[in-house]
Amino acid sequence: MRPLLGLVLITFRELWARKIVLGLFIVSSLVLLAVAFALNLDVVEGSLAGIRLFGQEAAPEDLGGEDAAPLTLSRVVIAVESVVAGVAYWIGILLALFASASLFPDLQSEGRAELLLSKPIGRVRVLFGHMLGVWSAIGLLATYLLGGVWGIMSLKTGVWNPRFLLSLLLVVGMFAVMYAAVMLMGVWTESTALGLIVSYGLIFVSMVLAAADQIGPTLGPLTSPVFWGLYHTLPNFTEVTKIVSVLAEGEAVDSWYPLVSSLLFGGATYGVAGYWFVQRDF
Amino acid sequence: MPALSVSSLSKTYRTGLLRRSTVQALTGVSLTVEEGAIFGLLGPNGAGKTTLMKILLGLVHPSGGTARLFGQPAGTPAARHRIGFVPENHRFPGFFTATQTLHAYGRLADVSTAARNRRIPQLLDRLALDGRGDTKVKTFSKGMLQRLGLAQALLNEPDLLFLDEPTGGVDPVGRRAIRDIVLDLRDEGKTIFLNSHLLSEVEKVCTQIAILRDGTLVRQGSVEELTAVDRVYDLLATPIPDALLNAELPLSPAPDGSAPDSELHQYRVRADDRATLNTVVDRLRDADVDIESITPLRQSLEDYFIDVVDAPA
Repeated sequence: MRPLLGLVLITFRELWARKIVLGLFIVSSLVLLAVAFALNLDVVEGSLAGIRLFGQEAAPEDLGGEDAAPLTLSRVVIAVESVVAGVAYWIGILLALFASASLFPDLQSEGRAELLLSKPIGRVRVLFGHMLGVWSAIGLLATYLLGGVWGIMSLKTGVWNPRFLLSLLLVVGMFAVMYAAVMLMGVWTESTALGLIVSYGLIFVSMVLAAADQIGPTLGPLTSPVFWGLYHTLPNFTEVTKIVSVLAEGEAVDSWYPLVSSLLFGGATYGVAGYWFVQRDF
Repeated sequence: MPALSVSSLSKTYRTGLLRRSTVQALTGVSLTVEEGAIFGLLGPNGAGKTTLMKILLGLVHPSGGTARLFGQPAGTPAARHRIGFVPENHRFPGFFTATQTLHAYGRLADVSTAARNRRIPQLLDRLALDGRGDTKVKTFSKGMLQRLGLAQALLNEPDLLFLDEPTGGVDPVGRRAIRDIVLDLRDEGKTIFLNSHLLSEVEKVCTQIAILRDGTLVRQGSVEELTAVDRVYDLLATPIPDALLNAELPLSPAPDGSAPDSELHQYRVRADDRATLNTVVDRLRDADVDIESITPLRQSLEDYFIDVVDAPA
């Protein structure tokens, strides 16, 4: 257990030593400060009476638009939380992948791999410890931002939306899915750049796959199976965004399939990466 | 039980996109290292030294044969519990201080917090890194990094220590310090497996050596045995009368002729067997020649090594 914990700590510490993670922490702190101090909600007897953003006053009706439903306190809370969750999901994961992509190739580089793999710890545990270290570092950062926004908004308004916290799990979970691709390319090629290209490429492809209902019926008999094959095997990163939004809005999720298929992709990819890692020579 | 035993070990690397190209790195290597030995593995570049060491450490999978450390299959976590390793070009995370590095790698080696707290200051002191515990590793010189590498390898108090070019790139003072530590470890009963190109260093510290050439083990034995020139002896004695030197004895003045004492002269004896050697001694004693010493002639390890690796296959 001690060697595994040691590896988690080294990975965690290594990730936090990177300037981009420090940058994410600083940006998250600024967001929390903005939510805490720049966004002022005037609540009178439990109802929203006014909103001030950076000192500029706006009537709730103005923010909702002419045709929109009246802006309630809970809608403002959900809107803020949805925006933060969406930004954390897209920009946060892209930056987190960028920050962590070189960790696994570094671990396997000459002079590092020998030191690590000569210790009394099996390769499967090395892989597991590394994954846990990366996930926990990103999880801590996501918890700091999303948990912080949730806590501040809830304390300021008295509107508690616990389902929003599920989006935190989705952000970390989908990061873990995309990091599987980085690790697989890391084991195969020891290339940071290729890991990033493949993971970002999968995200780009998921944007196309997200339009499956529109694209699917237009395809021919040869291309249709290929398209749907990709839809069911590759991570549905873009479609999971909708689940994150729905959860942040506190509504019921229609289908968990995009998340489940993405998690299966991640699990299978980690499995293949693990097999190669155990088999290869250093 | 030997500290290390290898039997018919072979390794073929497969390279290329379809892994069709092959490189035979080791072929049928068998050797044994007893506990308490300082074992030097020698060979020219590409001979298979690093591959053999990596198989023993579990970094490379063998294609055939077996390797065991203290009776355990090499490469298993159980076998690695009793070993320490200093790679040739090890890299520590630069953001750690020396103390943090030792704690981090000590944890990986399954050393308890209490043991780490006790041993780390001792090791820093022993390896002349005291006062550097709170210094970032990225500021360390090559020699300091080598000593820190040795410290991390010793944290779990290993019974078998693998050193891959431990003095590579280190200045003479640093080399001396590392050599002294290796000798201290030998005195503590540790077994040391040394992979080095610095033959003068190997000659000074190793009790046993093996030479690999093209993936095959071509020589193995003690340094004394292997470097002894067969049936040729250096004789140190009082001057031998010319009559005896001109007689049909396998005796001649030594080529360099230097002797530590002006009363003594150095000669060379080529005796094909023990009886001839004893006949020479008897004739000298009959002629009242005082014999100071008779020692087997040795060549330097470097000369021996070059003879072996240059010999036709």
